[in-house]
Amino acid sequence: MRRSVGALAIAMVYVVPATAQTLSQRVQTTDGRVEIVYASRPVACGDGRSYIGHVFGHTVAGTGVYQRNSGWPERPCLPGPIRLEATVLDGEITHLRAYVGPLATDVAGARTIEVPAREAASWLGQLVASGRSPVAGEAVLPLVLADAPDPWPLLLRVARDDDRPRAVRTDALFWLGNGVIDHLGLDDRASETPDDEMRSQAVFVLSQRPRDESVPELVEIARANKHASARRAAIFWLGQSGDARAADTFAELLGTR
Amino acid sequence: MRRPARTVTLGVLALSIPLVVRAQTVASRIASVRDGTVRMNFDSRPGVCGDGEGNVWIIDARSGFSDTRDPCVPGPVRVAIGRSGGQTVSVRSRVGGVDSPAADLDLGNVPAADAARYLLELAHTLGGRSSNQALSAAAFADAPNVWPEFERLVRDSDAMLDSRKDALFWLGQSDAPTADLVHLYDDLEPEPLRDHATFVLPQRRDDAAVDKLIDIARHDRDLDVRKRAMFWLGQSRDPKAVKFFRDVLVR
Repeated sequence: MRRSVGALAIAMVYVVPATAQTLSQRVQTTDGRVEIVYASRPVACGDGRSYIGHVFGHTVAGTGVYQRNSGWPERPCLPGPIRLEATVLDGEITHLRAYVGPLATDVAGARTIEVPAREAASWLGQLVASGRSPVAGEAVLPLVLADAPDPWPLLLRVARDDDRPRAVRTDALFWLGNGVIDHLGLDDRASETPDDEMRSQAVFVLSQRPRDESVPELVEIARANKHASARRAAIFWLGQSGDARAADTFAELLGTR
Repeated sequence: MRRPARTVTLGVLALSIPLVVRAQTVASRIASVRDGTVRMNFDSRPGVCGDGEGNVWIIDARSGFSDTRDPCVPGPVRVAIGRSGGQTVSVRSRVGGVDSPAADLDLGNVPAADAARYLLELAHTLGGRSSNQALSAAAFADAPNVWPEFERLVRDSDAMLDSRKDALFWLGQSDAPTADLVHLYDDLEPEPLRDHATFVLPQRRDDAAVDKLIDIARHDRDLDVRKRAMFWLGQSRDPKAVKFFRDVLVR
């Protein structure tokens, strides 16, 4: 009799409903490919299979980031949920790749998990903050894309954390810069003039000087220049600098710490 | 009163005729080969050396920069000219090394200035790698007075654009004053030639070049050329350039 009770208890433990598991557990119990589907920021769009558009003025494809108006890509950019493809081997996530737009119909063999964007963001935030590289870095973009509270405080912590892999901190700083541009309303390029293009170029050229000279100058331009084009370029290149002073400036401009 | 002037004129003619004849001699001797290969050698200018396999190094007299390594032989410039149907169809050149295998006609050592002028004339009609090799061989020649011929090619709107850009590059590497390049810029068309000039000018590393780049960045009619000039200004690390960038940002 005692033995039977023990067996029942074990059975109960192993038949926990899927909804009671964390997203992390659900993903990691998969072996192979799993797709996590959640809502994207309303402005984001994509073709569901190769590129993501309108991510703070950038289009993302593969491992590259393209500026808006580059004449690429060809397929229409449609709004839709994020489809985050995760590859899991022996309980460890080895690769993440995000898509936005129409859901693909040819996902045979892949398990699909639909979750609220906040839940996805919470899980991705853990990966960014403590996961291994390169997956931690790959988690930054799908985190930024989620229709959830802005991840800037978390990304600031990561960007300033010397113990995190350099690539993750670089990714965090890059997207923080874009968040700052969006937060300050500097992303409107519709009325850009040739003088604005020259200002952006001047900032780029200044950013290529030795870091001790360029970073303080970029910080000053980002904080106080009267031209939106110059501030936007300075924030962008600070985001590329990998310098701790950039994170401090971004925190200040975001009104956070 | 007229006689001295006439004498001077005759003197000028007397000086120039042998050059023309010698140049014609190089050209006419090459033209005597309808199909085949012609080989010639000539002295390289001081500071030019090569390994005989296509690598060439120039000791920059202005900066003292030298990127030489062994074996680096100071000349001669060795040129092989391909002929087909009575036309010159290819040019290959190198500095140093030994003579290449047998040619249909071997001119041996020829005056560097004559060879350079012949090669420069070819570059007006040739394109691609042959033009590039003809121009570099001419630029390596110990022939200090041929630089106006490079400028003539830069201005030749009938020549291939790449040939004109190569000529502009070598003119930038020459001893011609930066003021000549600055003056030439104002006549450069089309836009890719002006764009290329923004790369050529900063190689001069002098005030006149920096001033001209700032002028281009401010006033060129093409925005991309202005931006490129600004990029190369940034590479100069000149305080005037940095001041210019700051001016752009506060205007």
